[in-house]
Order: sequence, then structure tokens, then C-alpha cells
Amino acid sequence: MKKTTLLTVLLSATMLTAANAADPIKIGVVTPLSGTYAGIGQQVRWGLDLATKEVNAAGGIMGRQIELIYEDEEANPSVAVQKADKLFQVNKVDFLTGTVNSASTVAVGQVAERANKLIATTVSFADDITGAKCSPNVFRVNARAGQQSAALAAWLAKDKPKAKVFFLGPDYLMGRSTVAAFKDAAEKSGASSLGEVFAPLDSKDYTQYFGQMRAARPQVLYTSVAGNDTVRLFSQMQEFGLMKDLLVLGASGTVTAQNLPAIGKAAEGFATGVGYSDEIDTPENKKFVEAFKAANKAAPDLYGADSYGLIYAYKAAVEKAQSTDTDKVRKALEDLKWQTPQGEKTLRAGDHQAVQTMYVVRVTGGKFMTVGQVSGADAIGPDTCPRF
Amino acid sequence: MSAAIEYFQYVLAPQMLIGLVLGVAVILVALGLTIIFGLLDVINMSHGEFYALGAFIALALASIGLPFWLLLILVPLAMLPVGYIVERGLIQRVFHSGERHVTTLLLTFGLGLVMEDAFRLVFGPNPHKPETPISGAIDILGVFLPLYRLFLIVGGAVVVTLVALVVYRTRLGAMVRAAAFDKHMAASLGVPVQHVYAGAFAFGVALAGLAGVLLAPIYTVFPTMGRDFILMAFTVVIVGGMGSIAGVVVAGVLLTQVQAISSLYISPVWSDPIVFGIMVIMLMVRPQGLFGRLGHG
Repeated sequence: MKKTTLLTVLLSATMLTAANAADPIKIGVVTPLSGTYAGIGQQVRWGLDLATKEVNAAGGIMGRQIELIYEDEEANPSVAVQKADKLFQVNKVDFLTGTVNSASTVAVGQVAERANKLIATTVSFADDITGAKCSPNVFRVNARAGQQSAALAAWLAKDKPKAKVFFLGPDYLMGRSTVAAFKDAAEKSGASSLGEVFAPLDSKDYTQYFGQMRAARPQVLYTSVAGNDTVRLFSQMQEFGLMKDLLVLGASGTVTAQNLPAIGKAAEGFATGVGYSDEIDTPENKKFVEAFKAANKAAPDLYGADSYGLIYAYKAAVEKAQSTDTDKVRKALEDLKWQTPQGEKTLRAGDHQAVQTMYVVRVTGGKFMTVGQVSGADAIGPDTCPRF
Repeated sequence: MSAAIEYFQYVLAPQMLIGLVLGVAVILVALGLTIIFGLLDVINMSHGEFYALGAFIALALASIGLPFWLLLILVPLAMLPVGYIVERGLIQRVFHSGERHVTTLLLTFGLGLVMEDAFRLVFGPNPHKPETPISGAIDILGVFLPLYRLFLIVGGAVVVTLVALVVYRTRLGAMVRAAAFDKHMAASLGVPVQHVYAGAFAFGVALAGLAGVLLAPIYTVFPTMGRDFILMAFTVVIVGGMGSIAGVVVAGVLLTQVQAISSLYISPVWSDPIVFGIMVIMLMVRPQGLFGRLGHG
């Protein structure tokens, strides 16, 4: 090998790395843009876009701009896996987020392990994602079912002591996980369970379960349906006169800013435990809500806020690691403390779950009002991740 | 004995009644499908999106203050030219190819996807819930039924009867059936076959639109709503016999009752596989369905 060639190779190699430093950081987003969870995907997109715009305007991450690459996962795990694979292999993204369906998050986590990349969900509720099914390559920056339930059950014990509760969930990982988590938390604080029923995701008609529900004579209904499913369930319950003298509780995603207008009066009195509400009265949140409304002509819900916060978590981690390398960023994300619209969050190193203050909010006069609050440490529960 | 009566009154009867509402919904969607299928021999995969289009037009018109009762007439009328243009502009072009079933299926499938995206661009991904035009509920022998659902059962029966009268009792219907039976013979007798085809497609699409108006208050309006009924509607058309109106009614009621009653005893997740299982058995045992074809009866 001649010296000149060697020199050229060396030179071009250094030029390549120099070019790399100025290349954008690519973040893949696999999120439902169609189907029953399209409204959730829209919030995810709005939150990510807003934070990315802000970070890029302020000079990016370590001088590199962020580029988001979107793929529609249709809230379907098998589609999500294909799209994630494509983003890792073809688009060579550095990081991936956006999955909504809990089963999608678990499946895409396995894809990330094979590709040796990191993903974060900003939406999925199933406890298992940072519990029994945890992965060293998966982080969750939003509150899981257990955290939501801890706050909600504490409030229920005060509002309706010894309540009799009936459960209705969507029949997949998230639905079963949220129902189990709330059942456990509510029973521990004195409530009793009357029965449970699981309806397929995207059900047209919930009226076929009303016989069972009526027969149980519950004082409280807990449901974890989300998206369009909630609109149908609530309006059909109202149609059949089931909302009378019934307190309806739900998961964070059951009623949000995106489906509340369509549900209308049927949502009145609904309460849930949630990690974010646009009602949170801090200067940071007010600023965020204003910017979000200016950009999207709609208020942010938990998905928008948590997705927004993720970009800042990733920025903080990459800057701390001084690299986008998987192992270094993972280390930087573990025990990371960062600022979000809803205040400071911490990513617990033991299971990659975000710890955050939890709120109980209730629909009053067509708007969410905060009626209770539980500290992050009280809501988080034990670390049950067996893998790391 | 009284236990059995009680079981019927509180468990079985409400379930069957609720199943009947869903049955009427499916029949309304399947009606237009079977006319297009039986007459033009076109598998209209975009039928669900035309059902959604009807619901969205109703939503837009209701937002400018038009009453629901007017929409029941206006929306199907607005859909007629749409269907006519789609048939003349798109379906006609691939209608005479040797692979007609495949080409029309792919064409209408693509059209459905385009329509779905158009809905999302115009109305956004979130669901809309139109006000229920009739509120309140009645007690039928201790079975609770919202009035709007009762109206849907009655209204659905009226629509099916009217459609059957048009097809089997009018000169227009006779022309349509003649064109379906033997288009060359019909053409030589002076039936304007091209217009009959386009008109029949428009009629089927208008029925889908009517179903959209009627079902919007119960099932909400959102871009992918067309996917909800399309598989069930196709199953009903196949089991009932392609192009048969009576077949759609019988199969629609039968299959939704099977769904409703079976979901009492086994997990509702199984209701779809059971229905499609019935369809597969039907295709093996009696491929022409319960009743024959339009014009071949």
C-alpha cells in the first residue's frame, strides 16, 4: 500500500467523522396515524414536533439538528415491528419512540435489542413493560398503570369508602394490566370487586356487556378503554341509562382532550389518575400549553406532554454521554433527572420507569379539574424488573 | 319454569334485541353492496368508505344547522351523483378486462384508501359524536331499549321494503334485473345498459350513505369507520346469496343473532371467527348462498 493511498484513506475517514458530527440525529417515530388510536398518535406527533422545533432552534443536540422520521403503526404490533425494523435498518435512526399499543412497545423493544438501539415509549400503560417484560433497551417516560392506580385508589377511598367496583377493559395487554393494577390498588384501600369483562379493541357495540354490568349493580365502574372506544362506550352507556348514580373511573388515556369533545355530557364526573393535566398551575406548564396551542390549535393532553418531555430527556442524555452510542446513552438515561412541563421527572435505573408526581383529575363542567395529588415516591411502587 | 322466563326476560331477550339493532346496521350497509355485486358483478371494497362519506356529509350539514330528518333525504341524494361519476369515471374503465373481479377489487380498495386519507385530512383523526335525534328510552316487557335504536329497527325495515319494491315492482327495477340477467338481450330491447349500471352503482352507494346517516349517532364518525362493517357486510352478502335482497335480510339477522347469543356464553372475541366460520361452511356447502342472484331467481 502506497503512503499516498494510506493518507487519502485516513483523510477521507476523518472527513467522514467530521461530516457525521454535523449530520442530523435521526429519531424514528412509530406511532398510530390511522385507526382507533389515531388521535393519540396525533398528540404524540404534536408533542415531538414542538420539542424538536425548540431544540433545533436553540442549536440542536451537541450542534446537531434532530430529524424525526414518522411511520404509521396502525396500533398493530405486527405492523409496528416491520416499521421499526425498517427505521433501524434502512433509515439508520439513532433512537426510536412513538409506540402507543403496549403490545407494540414490547414487540418493538425486542426489535431494538436485536438492532442494539434504544427505544422509549411516551404512551403505553402496561406495567409489564418496565416490570416482568422489561428490557435494557426500553425506557418509559410516562406514568404506568400502577402509578395511575395508586393515585386514583387513594382518592376513591376518600370520596367513596368501601366502594363496589365493576371493571371493563379492552382485551389486550394494556387492558388486562390496567384492570389488574387498579383492582389491586382499590382492594388494598377497602373497595370490593364485583366482576370484570374484557371487550375486543375497537368494539362497535358495548351494549352486549350491559346485561352483566347491570346485574352486578356496581357503584363504581373502572374502565381502561381509550380513543374512539371510549366515545362509543360512554355514549352507549348514557343511551341505556347506565350513567345514573354510577361513578366512572378510568385509566389516564380513557378520556383526554382529544376525545372529550366527542363524548360530551357523558364524561361528566369521570375521574382518573394521571401524570399530566393542562390544568397544572406552574409557569413551565403555562408556557408549554401556550406554545402547544399556538402550534396545533389544540390543548396538549398527557400524550402530547410526555412526548414533548422525551425529546428533552434524550437531549440531556446525549449531552451527558457526549455521544449517541447506545451503551453510553443508556447509562446517561439511567437515573437521569430532567425538567418537563409537569415538573421534574427521574428515570429509575432499576427498571427504566419514570418517577413523577401523580394527579387525580375529574371532568367538571366539560373540563378536567385537579382534585388530588400523590407524590412520585408514593405512587411508583417497587422495582420488579428481573433482567438488569 | 319461572327461572327460565326470568332468564329470557333479563338476559336473552335484551341480548337478542341489541343483536337485532346491529343486524339492521349490517343489513343497511350490505344492501347497497349486494345490489352492486349482484348486478355489476363488481366487488366494491370501498363500500365502507362510502358509508363513512355519508356520515361525514351528514356531520358537515348538521353543523350548519340542518335537521336530522332532512339529512335522511339529502345525503343519499348527494351521494347519487358521486356514485354515478365513480362508476362512469373509474369502474367502467376496468369493467371489460378479463380479470374483472381482480381489477375492480383492487381499484375500489385503492379508492377506499384514498377516501379514508381524505377524511383524515379534512376532519382530523378524532371521532365526532352527532347528537342522537331521538332521546329517551322505552320498556318493552321489562327490556330496556333506547328510542333511537327502536327507530333504527323500524326505519331499517322501511328502507329494506322500499328497496325491494323498487327492484321487484317497478319498471326501473325490471330494467335493472334484465340488464343483470342478460345485458346483450336487454341492450337490444332498448335498455340503456351503461346508464343502468352507473345508476345501480349510484343507488348502492346512496344506500351506503343512508346507512352512514342512520348509524352515525350510535357508532360515532371517524375516518376509519368504514372498516368496521365491511367484513361483516361482505359475509352477509356471501351467506345470503350475491345480489339477493331477501338473502341479505335473512343472513344479516341470522349472523348477528349468532354473534349476540354466542357472546353470552363464550368470550366475545370468538364472535368474528364463528361468523366467518359459517361463511366458509356456506361457501363449501352452498356456494350460491341461501338465495340465488338478482335476475337469476
